[in-house]
Order: sequence, then C-alpha cells, then structure tokens
Amino acid sequence: MQIPLKQYTSLLAHYLKPQQGRVVGLAIALLSSIGFQILNPQILGYFIDTAVSGGSQQKLLIAAFLFMGLALLTQILTVTATYLGEMVAWTATNALRLDLAKHCLNLDLSFHKSHTPGELLERVDGDVNLLSRFFSQLVIHVLGNGVLLLGILIILFAENLLAGVSLTLFSLIALSLLLGIQSVAVTPWAAYRQVSADFFGFLGEHLVGREDIRANGAVGYVMRRFYELLQRWLPIYQKARFASTILWSTSVGLFTLGNAIALAVSAYLWNQNAITIGTAYLIFHYTNLLNQPIERIREELEELQQVEASIHRIRELLNVRSQIQDSGNAHLSAGALSVSFQQVWFSYQGIKPGDREQKITLSPSVHTLQNLSLHLPAGQTLGLLGRTGSGKSTIARLLLRLYDVQTGEIRLGNIPIAQTPLSELRQRVGLVTQDVQLFQASVRDNLTFFDARIRDTEILETLNNLELTEWLQSLPNGLDTQLGADSAGLSAGQAQLLAFARVFLKNPGLVILDEASSRLDPITEQCIERAIARLLHNRTGIIIAHRLATIQRVDQILILEQGKVVEYGDRFTLQNDQRSRFSQLLKVNATTLMA
Amino acid sequence: MTTQRIAIWKLLWRMIRYAFGLYLLDTILWLFIAGLPVVPGLIIREFFNTLTSTETSGSAQLISLQSPMVWVALIFAVGAARIVAICAGRVTKTQHRFTMSSLLRRNLLDKLLQRPGAESLTVGRKTVSPGEVISFFRDDAAQVEDTVVGTNEIFSAGVFAIVALIILFNVNARLTLLVFLPLVAIALTLQHAEARIKRYRSASRQATQQVTGLIGELFSAVQAIQVAGAETPILNHLRWLGDQRQQRVVQDQVFTAIIQSSLENLVSLGTGLILLVAAQSGVGGGDLLSETLRERTLSVGDFALFVYYLAFVTDFLWFFGGFLALTKQTEVSLERMGTLISSVEEQESNRVEGLVEPAPLYLPDLKGRMTELPAIAQPKRDTALEELRVENLTYRYPGSDTASQRWSDRGITNISMTLERGSLTVITGRVGSGKTTLLRVLLGLLPKQSGEIYWNGSHIEQPDQFFVPPRSAYTPQVPQLFSNTLQENLLMGFQTNETELRKAIAIAALDHDLAAMPEELNTLIGSKGMRLSGGQQQRAAAARMLLRQPELLVFDDLSSALDLETEQTLWSHLLAITPRSPSSYTPTYLVVSHRPFVLRQADYIIVLKNGVVDAEGKPEDLNIVM
Repeated sequence: MQIPLKQYTSLLAHYLKPQQGRVVGLAIALLSSIGFQILNPQILGYFIDTAVSGGSQQKLLIAAFLFMGLALLTQILTVTATYLGEMVAWTATNALRLDLAKHCLNLDLSFHKSHTPGELLERVDGDVNLLSRFFSQLVIHVLGNGVLLLGILIILFAENLLAGVSLTLFSLIALSLLLGIQSVAVTPWAAYRQVSADFFGFLGEHLVGREDIRANGAVGYVMRRFYELLQRWLPIYQKARFASTILWSTSVGLFTLGNAIALAVSAYLWNQNAITIGTAYLIFHYTNLLNQPIERIREELEELQQVEASIHRIRELLNVRSQIQDSGNAHLSAGALSVSFQQVWFSYQGIKPGDREQKITLSPSVHTLQNLSLHLPAGQTLGLLGRTGSGKSTIARLLLRLYDVQTGEIRLGNIPIAQTPLSELRQRVGLVTQDVQLFQASVRDNLTFFDARIRDTEILETLNNLELTEWLQSLPNGLDTQLGADSAGLSAGQAQLLAFARVFLKNPGLVILDEASSRLDPITEQCIERAIARLLHNRTGIIIAHRLATIQRVDQILILEQGKVVEYGDRFTLQNDQRSRFSQLLKVNATTLMA
Repeated sequence: MTTQRIAIWKLLWRMIRYAFGLYLLDTILWLFIAGLPVVPGLIIREFFNTLTSTETSGSAQLISLQSPMVWVALIFAVGAARIVAICAGRVTKTQHRFTMSSLLRRNLLDKLLQRPGAESLTVGRKTVSPGEVISFFRDDAAQVEDTVVGTNEIFSAGVFAIVALIILFNVNARLTLLVFLPLVAIALTLQHAEARIKRYRSASRQATQQVTGLIGELFSAVQAIQVAGAETPILNHLRWLGDQRQQRVVQDQVFTAIIQSSLENLVSLGTGLILLVAAQSGVGGGDLLSETLRERTLSVGDFALFVYYLAFVTDFLWFFGGFLALTKQTEVSLERMGTLISSVEEQESNRVEGLVEPAPLYLPDLKGRMTELPAIAQPKRDTALEELRVENLTYRYPGSDTASQRWSDRGITNISMTLERGSLTVITGRVGSGKTTLLRVLLGLLPKQSGEIYWNGSHIEQPDQFFVPPRSAYTPQVPQLFSNTLQENLLMGFQTNETELRKAIAIAALDHDLAAMPEELNTLIGSKGMRLSGGQQQRAAAARMLLRQPELLVFDDLSSALDLETEQTLWSHLLAITPRSPSSYTPTYLVVSHRPFVLRQADYIIVLKNGVVDAEGKPEDLNIVM
C-alpha cells in the first residue's frame, strides 16, 4: 500500500496536539458507539434464540428493553461525538487555514501574479475543508472499525472454528485488496481540485470586472469561457468519481462473496448437525456485520483519496518559497531614515519563477534598473521623474523588498535593507500608490488594517490632518460605517485620500508617494499638498511623479530613462542650469500645459 | 408560514425536469442499486426455511444440501448485477450532479452579469465582496445539488420500503401497521425543529461567507498588505472570523446531528416495539406450527425476513426524515442565492425562480462527446450617433433613504446634457462630485432612478442593454483585466483582423510596450493583469475599447497612470480620429478628466459639484480650473 503514513502522522500530530483532551474524548465516544454496534445484534440473536426456543416473556421483554436502551445511549454518544469531532476538525482546519493564508501572504509578488485570488481562496479554504473529517474522524473510524472487525472475528472463532478461520481469511483478503486499489483515484482527484480552483479563480476575477465586461459587450465571451471551463471540468470529475467507484464495487463484490461463504459454511455445518439454527442465523448475521466495518473502512478509504489529493496540493503550496529571505535582525533607528542606492542593478527576469510559469518581463531592456546610485540624507525629499516603464516604481518596490536587487546594495538609515527584519522595514517605510485596496469592513478597519491597537483619537487626528473630518461626519456611522468591497461607495479619489491616512497612521521614517495624487482633481490635490507637507515634516521622502507640479518642494531631482539615471542632483542647481533636462522639462511644462 | 417563503419543491421539480432523461436513467439504475439487496432477503428466507424443513423431513440429507447451494449461487448473481448497476449508476449520478450544480452556477453567473455592472452586489442590504460571492457558487450550489440528486435516491429507497412493507403486511398485517408510529413521530419532530434548522444553517452560511470574503480580499490586496506590513493584524482578523465560523458551523452540525440521531432513535424504538409485540404474539419454529396457525404466528424464516425487511422500512424512515431536514437547509441556500441576484428593490419578491431556468450548458454527454459551443454573438452596427440627449438623470446610492440625511448627498441629481456627433465633452469636478456616477448611470451600469436618455431622439428604455459596442464602449477609472493572454484581454470575443487589432493598439500608445513583450500578443498578463504596469493596464483597456470602434467612447480619467508624454501621445491619437479624419468612423467622446490640455480641446465642459451641475459651457466661456 502506498498511503504516505508519515505525512499523515506529522500533519495530525501538529494540528491535534493542542487539543489532546478533546481528541481523547472523541475517541472514547466514537469507539464506544462502535462497541454498541457489536452489542446490539447480540441482543437480537439472543432475542431470536429465546423466541424460537419458546423462552419466557420476561426474558424477551428484558432483551427488547435493552435494545431500546442501547439505542438511546447510542444517540447520546452520536451527538457527543459530533460535537467533539466538529470542534476538533474546525480547530485543526482553522489553524491550517491560517498557516496557509500566512504562508501565501508572505510569498513574493511573482507568485501572486500567476495565481488569481479566487484560485488561492479555493486552495486555502476549499482544499482545507476536505481535511475536516481527516482530522476528526478518519483515523478513529479506521481504527475503531478495525477493532470492531477483530471483535467480530474473535466471536466467530468462539462460535465456531471453521467459520472463524474462513471469515478471517476473507477479511484479510478484502482489506488488503481495498488498500491496494485505494490510491487509484488520488491523481484524478488532485486534477479535479485544480480545475475547481481554476474555476473559482475565473469566477472571482470576472465578478470583479463586471463593469468592464458589461460596458464592452463581453458578457457572451465570459459565458463562453464559463462553458469551456465546464467542458474541461466534467470529464475530470467523471474520471475521479469513477476511479472511486472501483473501491465501492470491489467491496460489494467482496461482500457478496462473504455472504455466500457464510451461507455455504452454515448450511454445511447445519447439515452435519454441528450448529443450531440460532447459530446458523448468527453466522449469517455476523458476516453481515463484517460487511459493516469493511464498508466503513472502504468509505474512509474513498474519502482518503480526496484527502490525499488535498494534502498533496497543500504541501505543494507550502513548498513554494518566497524569493525574499527574512533573516535580518538589525533595527532601524527612530525618526527620519536616510536612503542610499549603491550601484544597483535589477531585472525582473533575474527572478526565479516561484512556480512553474515563466516570469515575463515587459520592459524593453533586460535590466529595469542599471547601475543606479543615489544618496538621500535623512529628512530630505527626492523627486523621481521619468516616463512609464522607466523603472521609477521599481525603486519603491525594491525599498520595500517586494523584490531583491541582483547586484549592488540598498541602505536605509545606513543599514543594508536585507539585514532589517521584513516586518520592521515595511512598518517604517510608507508607500502610497494610485491603486488603493479597500476591504469590505468599517472605515476604521480599513485605515488600521484591522489593527485594534490603534486608538480612535489617533485616527481622528489623522483624518483631521488630511482635512477629511467633514467627509467623516457625512458618514452615517462615522468610523463604524461599512465600506463596500472594491471601494463601492467611495470615489477612486476619496479612496486615495484614505491611502494617505493609512500611511500617516504608520508613522514611517521614509515616505514614498508613487503617483499618489494622480486621481485627484487639482483642487483636492492642493488640499493634499498641505497634508503631504505635514507628512514629510521630519521624514525622508521620495515623490514619484509623472507631472511636475507635484514635486515643487523636493530637495533632489532624479530623472530616469529606461532604467538609467540621466540626471541627478540638487533641485536648485538643476533648475538654474539652462542646459539641464529638468529645466527644459519645466519650460515645456510651462508652455504646453500652463499656457 | 410566511408569505415570501420559496416553493422549494417546485424549484427542485423544475431542476429535475431540466435533465429529465438523465434523471430517469439515473433513477432506474438507483432503483437497482437500492433494490437489489431486497432479493437476498428473499433468498435468505428460503435458505433458512430449506434448512428448517430438512429437519422436519429428516430424509435425504444430500438433496437438502444441494438446494441451499442453489440459493448461494443466486446470491452471487445478484451481487454481480449490483456491481454493474453501481458502476453505471455512478456515471449517470456524476453527470446529473454536475449538470445540476452547473445549471445553478450558470444562472447565477448569468444573472449577476445581467445586473447593472457597477452596482455592488448585496445580500440583505449588505455589500458582498467577490470572495463572498464565491461561497454562493461553491457551498450553496453544492447544497442544492445534493438535494436534487438525493431525490431519486430517496425515491428508490421509498419504492423498496413500500415493497418491503407489502411483503411484511402479507407476513403479519397487525405488526406492520406499527411501523407507521415512528413515521408520525418523525413528522412531528421535524415540524417542531424547522425554524431552528433554518436559522442555524443561515448563520453558518453567513459566517462561512465572511471567511471566504476576507480570504478573497486578502489575496486581492496582497501587495497593499505587504507594503503596509499589516500581515499580523489581518491574520488575527481572519482568525477571529474563523472562530465565529467554527461556532456557527458546530452549532449547525450538532443540531443536525441531534435531529438525525433522534430520527434514528425513533426508528430504533419503533423496531424494539415491533419486536416486542412480535414476541408477545408468539414466535415459533416451523416445526411447531400447523397450517391453520400460520396466520397468527411467525416461523423462524418469517421472523428473519421480518427483521430484514423491517430494516428497509425503518432505514427509509430516517433517511426520509434526514432528507426533509436537508431540504430545509437547501431552502436557506436558495433564498440566499435568490437574494444575491435580486437588486435591493426586488429583494422583497425574491427572484429565485431565475436560478432554475432551463438554459443550455453545452456539457459533454454521457459518452464524453463534446457539444460545440455557439459562436459569440457579434455586435451589429445599426445606428450612427447623431445626438445623445440626457435629461434630468438622477441616481442615489442605496442606503440614501434609510440612513441619515447627509448620506443622501451621494449620487447625482437632475443632470442634463447633449452630445453632438464627433464632439468631445469633458466632465470635471472635485473628488466625489459624481463624475464617475454620471458615466455609470448613463451607460446603465447603475440603474437610473429618474431621467430620460434619447439616442438620435429616440427614447432609450434600457440603457444597460443599449449602451454596448458598437454603440458605445467604456474604460473605467481602474480598468479590470483578466489572467489570460494580452490578445484575449483585448478581443474578449470580438472578431476582427490583425490590422485592426494593431491599429487599436497603436492608437492606445501601447505599440512600443507590445514590441518589448517577449511573446507579443500571446503574453500572459497574469492575475488581474498584474504583470503589466499601471499605465500599461490603462492603455490595454483603452485599446480594448477602441478596437470595437464604438460610436460613443466613454472613459473615466483614462490617463491617471500615464506620464506626460505618453498621455499626450494617447490624447493626440484619440483626437486625431475626430472629427475630420478621412475614415468614415467618427466617434463621439464623453470623458472625465482634470487635465488642462484635455479641457482646452473640449467642445463642451460640465463641472460637477456634489452631484449637480455647478457650471457648464465651452472652454472659452469657463475660466475655471485652467
């Protein structure tokens, strides 16, 4: 048999250890209910024998009442087992879900670019859902039914040696056969899980894009892709379910065989006058009883096929490693942080793909950044200019270690960023981009990212700084107002203001504004200017801009072109130098835009 | 019973009718799977009766051993038949299962796509995120699927329960009548528990939906979370939601277990009672009975048969009871899905009927033969735009009526405008002034509450159906792309030639970027187009729109992610199409922008403030913002 027992035990040990007590209780409840299953037919057999031999009414009454009493007890046990089982299963799967979510959250962006949120949702939630029975009942059921099987066989031995031997042989053959063919369906089930993850990935993306789909007349196209997915899905589903059927039909075949053997043997023994009619009935009944644990084990094995497929996929996901190593332990100083780049070369192509798919670079040159050096003293501000795709945003991503440089070094507060713990680095560097992700949660949770430690007074003060108090007052429930998913209820511009508030609340030592005000109207932009001034006070700043208006206050200017620095220097110097690219840009700007 | 209650049986029946042939075939096979075990019961009775009868006759031991062996052989035959039925039944069942959930998912997706594209999806006035919606497609669809395919299993079990009942009745009528006692008890229990079953299920579904919602959002916003260093608090929130879900689901499951085991117990008690009565009426061996007494007492063979068949009836009883409980939970799922596809106003009268509407699914048949998908319907160019007139357009975001007065500021009020063929109309105004809302309401992406729209003077009844290519196309402020190749993203089913495609890409100023892509148009652009830069995403969306050559081009702050030069290139390309270019194609523009150079070229400017027109006119008449 090919069941990877070691994987199972380590998984079970890890997630069940914290709830040992419950697991023991569950085992007791399940095993005793299995025990009752063996007792009940005993009573029935006794009842029949008594009835046939014309035993007293009293004996019959006792048997009948015992039968009913056991039924009641079984109910209590079932409910207890369900409660404990569900608790164990949910505690374990919730912990596993969290571990998986955490793992995925820490993976780098190249991974997330090739996996849709819907697909990851299915892998973190859907795949784990399937493990629920595995954690709570599967092992206990297999063991319990194994014990039950053993018990029945022992009783059979006591009844009659021949019956015992033949049915033991039968059970052994049956079980090893079922175990042997168990793994047949694992691969098709894994394929099935992947298609279903793809399906939910497709669904998630297209539900987000309803507006684009409707307005561009692409509903028919989306439905067609839906049908195509169904066409791919069904054959795989058929294959997986049919592979599982092999297990079922084998057990039915075996059971038929068992019944036939039992009847033949009891007919023979009866014929030899070796057993009473009651015993003959019992042998038949026990064979039927054998069927039950074997069927149950079969069912668990069938379940295990899907579980194994899920475990395989979960492990596959856990084996994806982030390209970003988080092993630093140098701490950043409080206050403004200086920034320096020393001969930094960076290429998205240099990143090894986090998974099977090839990373694709969309920039013309191989290197997105070429030999970039700069030094920005603490508390100063740098204006970063350049066309789309010149590598400006890459600089921001590198500072936050969303990617790591290939050669060269980036220092923050004079410490190489790779030596600072990732969480601390990202806590001290604040980035505002034009894409704002809002959660379906209250305004408060959206601002604090669910961090309950941030006090309301801080939030209110920040909103006041951003001149958002009026907006806040217009909300029906203030900070408790629920924002819709996909920023429903907020304009994109308002959402961008909230992104500023988020960064304010972090109190970072370096602030990067990546085209942060591009969705704002000129008046709001002026409003924001004051807030930006406040935000940059006593902080180091990098302002990435397509437009020149936003960089009026900076100390340094850097102009990038296709990953290369074409101009870098003090703003005053460049502004006054008639030949500088910057002063020419200012002129163009003044004539074509401001006139 | 409330009046809005959905007619669950009617809905299930409609779903059954959808693939009725398959359902019947499946039912027949399941009749065999469920029914074949009845036969061994008869065989076993004969077997035991043969054994006991040999005892009485006491002669010819050899013959008596042969006849039981015939019965053994018969058992083999029945087993083999059952295996065949199981294999075939699995295939039909799988097909039927998949068909049922696919129909639901198809209708759900279709109805969601029919909803105004920019209106957020709500359940009970609460917005739901895409991650939450996925739980409707996954868990609720599976719940309904289970119930529909369960009907023929319950039917088969029922048929054989009746057969068994008839046999039992012939053995002993008085005893058999006792079987109906547990049935009555089951009915009473379920009626009593119904409200609770539904309440618990609905709570557990909602808790699940919140977890899937957060996980979905978590992965949509992964970059923002990493950048903010907010992993820990978010995971804590997920943990909290997970604990909530655990509580609700455990409650739901334990209650279901209580119901199920109570049903089982009622049945067990019933069995005990019947056995007791049987014992009291006297069970005797066949040898003790005379023919005349056979009516009143049971032989051992009869007794074995009675016990065997009684199990059929009682198993069916609790199976049926459990199924009834399941349908209560399914009602919850259908109600939830019905609410999701209904707009806020319609939620009172649930549109759940739409979920079970028959529609082609193009699934491969039982033999695995594929059905060809129909070609995607191509837009037909019917009317050229001469004049688009909008009168008193009003839209308020939901919640406006119920919440505080100030909340009702959100939306647009009484906006009127007229767009001439080939003109450029620019809508501008401050953040949150209603610019995007205006575009969305005009295009039917949000349902207008009042106001009229006239295209060349004729009244447009359904803007959402009307404003699609080639009449109009639209690029939202934050365009959405999909994980596929660039070409698929641009075409989205639109049929055109390579020249037109390249032309649109060139106008959108995406040609240089395209040349740098290793696989050109076949480049996979990643989840949500994340492998493209923000500016590339916007221009790809612009190309997607231009490709369709719509009469009316609508874009919302198209160039917010572009640098100055690229932005100017794009605009000069766009405006070069109009209006005096040699080509016969003359688009009309309706755009939202703040850019001075766009405003300067406008034929007409509308300035919005708090959802109403603050100022309007030709650029030279308005000396604001410039």
